[in-house]
Amino acid sequence: MDLNALIPAPDSIPVHWGWLHFFFLLTFVLHLLFMNAMLGTGIIALVKSLKGTRQDLPIAKEISLKLPYTIAFTINMGVAPLLFIQVLYGNFIYTSSVLMGWYWLSIIGILIIAYYSAYLFDFKFDTLGSARSIFIALSVILMLLIAFLFTSNITLMLTPEKWTRYFSNAGGTILNFSEPTLIPRFLHFVCASIAIGGLFLAIIGKIKAGKENDNFEEMISSGMKWFSYATLVQIIIGCWFAVLLPKDIILLFLGGSSSATLLLLCGLTGAGTALFFGFKKRIWLSAGVVVFTIIVMVLMRDMVRAAYLNPYFALSDLKVEAQSSPMILFIVTLIIGIGLIGYMLKLATKQREVS
Amino acid sequence: MNYPVWELYYTGGGLLIALIAVVHVYVAHFAVGGGLFLVLTEMKGLRENSPAVLEYTRKHSKFFLLLTMVFSAVTGVGIWFTISLISPAATSILIHTFVFGFATEWVFFTLEIVAIFIYFYTFSKIDNKSHLIIGWIYAVSALISLILINGIIAFMLTPGEWLETRNFWDGFFNPSFWSSMFFRITIALVLAGIFGFITAVFIKDTDFKEKMVRYCAKWLIFPFIFMVLFAWWYLAALPDAPKAMILGRSPELIPITKIFAAVLPILFICGLLMAIRMPGSVKKYMAFVILFIGLVYMGSFEWIREAGRRPYLIVEHMYSNSIKIEDEAKINKQGLLSTAKWVKHKEINDENILEAGREIFNLQCIACHSVGGPLNDILPVTKKFTVFGMDSQLNGQGKINDYMPRFMGTRLERLALSRYIVERLHTKTETLAKVAIKELPINIPPFNKKADEYVLLAWSKFGMHFISDSDSWWMLSPPGNDISAQLIRRGETPEIVTEEVELSYKVESGFEYPSRHVKFWNYAQDFLGKKLPLDIGVTGHGLKGKMKLVKENPAFVADRIPVVPYSDDKTFNPYPLFTIEARDKNSGKILARTRVVTPVSTEMGCKNCHGGKWRMEGVAGFSDETAGEILATHDKISKTELLKMAKKGKPVLCQSCHTDSILGTKGKAGLLNISAAIHGFHANYLTGRDGNACNACHPSSPDGHTQGLRGIHNEIGLDCTSCHGNLEDHALSLLIAEEKVGKKSAKRLMKHLVPTRVDSIHLIKPRNPWINQPDCLNCHIDFNQPDTDETFNQWTKSADQLYRSRSDDAGIMCQACHSSTHAVYPATNIYGNNRDNIQPIQYQENPYPIGSNKNCKVCHTIDMEEEMHHPNSLAMFRNVR
Repeated sequence: MDLNALIPAPDSIPVHWGWLHFFFLLTFVLHLLFMNAMLGTGIIALVKSLKGTRQDLPIAKEISLKLPYTIAFTINMGVAPLLFIQVLYGNFIYTSSVLMGWYWLSIIGILIIAYYSAYLFDFKFDTLGSARSIFIALSVILMLLIAFLFTSNITLMLTPEKWTRYFSNAGGTILNFSEPTLIPRFLHFVCASIAIGGLFLAIIGKIKAGKENDNFEEMISSGMKWFSYATLVQIIIGCWFAVLLPKDIILLFLGGSSSATLLLLCGLTGAGTALFFGFKKRIWLSAGVVVFTIIVMVLMRDMVRAAYLNPYFALSDLKVEAQSSPMILFIVTLIIGIGLIGYMLKLATKQREVS
Repeated sequence: MNYPVWELYYTGGGLLIALIAVVHVYVAHFAVGGGLFLVLTEMKGLRENSPAVLEYTRKHSKFFLLLTMVFSAVTGVGIWFTISLISPAATSILIHTFVFGFATEWVFFTLEIVAIFIYFYTFSKIDNKSHLIIGWIYAVSALISLILINGIIAFMLTPGEWLETRNFWDGFFNPSFWSSMFFRITIALVLAGIFGFITAVFIKDTDFKEKMVRYCAKWLIFPFIFMVLFAWWYLAALPDAPKAMILGRSPELIPITKIFAAVLPILFICGLLMAIRMPGSVKKYMAFVILFIGLVYMGSFEWIREAGRRPYLIVEHMYSNSIKIEDEAKINKQGLLSTAKWVKHKEINDENILEAGREIFNLQCIACHSVGGPLNDILPVTKKFTVFGMDSQLNGQGKINDYMPRFMGTRLERLALSRYIVERLHTKTETLAKVAIKELPINIPPFNKKADEYVLLAWSKFGMHFISDSDSWWMLSPPGNDISAQLIRRGETPEIVTEEVELSYKVESGFEYPSRHVKFWNYAQDFLGKKLPLDIGVTGHGLKGKMKLVKENPAFVADRIPVVPYSDDKTFNPYPLFTIEARDKNSGKILARTRVVTPVSTEMGCKNCHGGKWRMEGVAGFSDETAGEILATHDKISKTELLKMAKKGKPVLCQSCHTDSILGTKGKAGLLNISAAIHGFHANYLTGRDGNACNACHPSSPDGHTQGLRGIHNEIGLDCTSCHGNLEDHALSLLIAEEKVGKKSAKRLMKHLVPTRVDSIHLIKPRNPWINQPDCLNCHIDFNQPDTDETFNQWTKSADQLYRSRSDDAGIMCQACHSSTHAVYPATNIYGNNRDNIQPIQYQENPYPIGSNKNCKVCHTIDMEEEMHHPNSLAMFRNVR
């Protein structure tokens, strides 16, 4: 079957693809940061909840207070890249979504349950007693399920060769288990979350230590431990993931393409440096380096995506029917919005300090 | 077409979108109105210096946060997921056109989230001014995000100038933008009150609870009148097509519109009731009931809005099945299967036709129809169809009832889809039970060529005639046919005898009591305005009696003899024989006798599309199922109540509303005459079929038990369309005549009819039914051999010009020698080869027209040299057997 005949024709875009691509990657990085914090702290909270010791429970409680925020912003920051991926790669992602229709749609229900479960873990932390573990477990497991479904969709989107399975199953229940990179890619994101979750926990501890009189050493220390060990495992999973990529794609990063190879070197350097700072418990340095590394990884991921789709499609193929005024509206609104957020945070924190 | 179709059968028809969208929209509008509610209530608390009000506001904001942050936000994403799965093509258009509109909306979402978190968590912890600012930022952000999404949703219904310009701002500030925006804002305020009840009824202090419940009731009541006004504005702002669709053009929508209208006052009254002091448990119960009523209100509104778009997803741009209107012509030419991408069977053959039909079904139908599911289930609405019926339905789909798109694809694809629906989804197999047709005796009276003094010629007015035996449901054509006769005294100068003679007629045995077989006499009063004795027709004639002299022809006539094709031996016979006798008035001596058939058939083929079986012997007659279904369809399409009336025992005559010159009814002003209505409507469903279109309804089908087109023209290979044109042409000629006299409904039926016999509609000459007909002389110019076998657009000018009304130079009516229309000598009758040729065989021992092959002796007793009667009468009959 001629795969090009299957790939739906893309619609035109209103500005040069570079703009959309920039917004896409920027908002995806933000989404990743929040998602990592959410899932990572969720997993840590689950472990600490189950352990239930005098040191663990306060940390679990602290995480529970933050979960509503991390979840809310993960979702919100997910909306933007989901928008831009549909503009840039709509003809691929709509298709892969339809193929796994029921699974894709189930994410909505799963997410609502996970979200409310996290709220219960937060609001009823004390009154639930040890039963609280059930709710955080439910939340974490469902989030992992969502992550898995996302990974399935994203990989299916990149491999049109798999799409012919539609002709034996049009009922929306195709998952991409035959994809070799599926599990390592999934684990790579989960492990990243655990690492960032730990770092986030340490940051919370550090900030609170500056404001309140309590001892947050346990929180910081625990957080950085989670961060460091997870980063170590992450590097291994990353190699496993890379090895399973199609040969011609890996080769891009091993000298085939200068920009790709440079990115890989930056990424590995970043990861190694983060690991170093992590074990040294240098919170802000770790944070800075890891954010840099994440940005590099996202760029690499973007190159991998382009390489997968290269036989069929490139972003420069998209036709432009220029209409830039709406984008101006968006940029202006965004700037005002950021300003307002800053203003609101100032209002919120200023008073707290005073009182 | 571009994307793979998610094969949802039970959950098809838009169920997923309906479920997720309605709940989201309900809570989302609350998320907007509720934001204003929070700040205004906080201000109220500060103004009244009331910690109780402030505490209520804080509690309400927690409820608000939990409901909107989680449920509203995630279901909003849920709509997005769902529409991407159900119609990626339409979603792609929205996303690509409005990407920065969505992106801007997202900025406001972010502001909302930050604001509401801060609002809740800093309640009473920061100074009032700052807290209120946060609240206002939330409220305004929520409002703006509603405005932004509203523009995009309104665009789908009224894209306005975007259709030409493809400009973002034209698409966003579209014709229904402002009205829908104001309408939704008032809904948001009303919902703020409704959701406010939920928290207010749980206040412990009774007096304070009453105060706050009343406060919430104000939110419901005061915006209400504006909400109704804006709803009115919204409807008025719509272009004609969506407006008509909402106001009843889409019949399925009517109950929903009724619910919407009914819920409005109920909601208002509930709001008033909540202001009355009541026991706490009652109020709690009521609060949740109102919450549910509000959901029904919201759901019915959004349903109406969505259905108003039919048959489009984006009006005048993309159909509900995700096919762009600009692709329709290409699909009809090339085929759907070769144009769509995700198709396995690109070409149809005998092995894959049902599977191909399934793919076409998925591409065109499941966007709106579930299979066996709760929404718009395709199974009940297609249950009645045979493959022919289904194919005809698809043929006409969307042409008159335009709430559905037209079928797109080739004829073979249409057939494949029909077969899939009938044979796979309904698992129907069509078995053609063959009922044998028995040859019936005719008993030709003897004739002595030398001795007999008279020749008696008799014929029926209609050579092919059907009646409806659906009397307890409706009537289209009462029992009967007319018999005419002329008595000729033989001699060198024959004479048409009209004086001193009495002509009588009598039906063959078994047919004397038609009231035993049809219910016509139970309802004759209702149909024809007069009560008739059993077995007697409207003119007083029964199945036997005397014929009346009509001086103008001159001929003896017995009209409206109420004969039916059912014999007492329970068989179907559409050609009952009559014996005609001429007697001397004074002596009573029989001067001449002959026999003639009166064609009368109940093989009206409505069941081919309207379902049901034949009533009688598996070959003819209306079953209750078919007759009732016809009324149900008429009711649905024309908003009548005929089925209800019939069930009450008051069936109607079709021509009581639709004029008919044959029955002499006036009908209702503005409605099309019956022929224009019935042919005009059905022509849309039976295009491109030559004579098979006619055979679908009239008793002319070569597979039927009447085969009424049986004269010489049929024998030499002509069919209905040779004289009457194809159904499209036939219908257009009737509709154009009606349009010319100002009947507006003709246009709706004509819109998609394409003439086949002429190049354009403007070339079609209008005609009135029964009066302007094709004539023999159109082809037989000067009574000569034709050099064409087709005529169209040439009509008789008046009724007296019709073949059946004319006579020759000697005063002998054309039908006397040549027999009735459609059975012109020599005819072939399936019930016995010469059943229709009795008189020629009786008088001249051959089946040809009276006197043919220079056999003037039949009447003249000697050979004639001079040509008379009509030009070319001395020519030899060309088509001898």
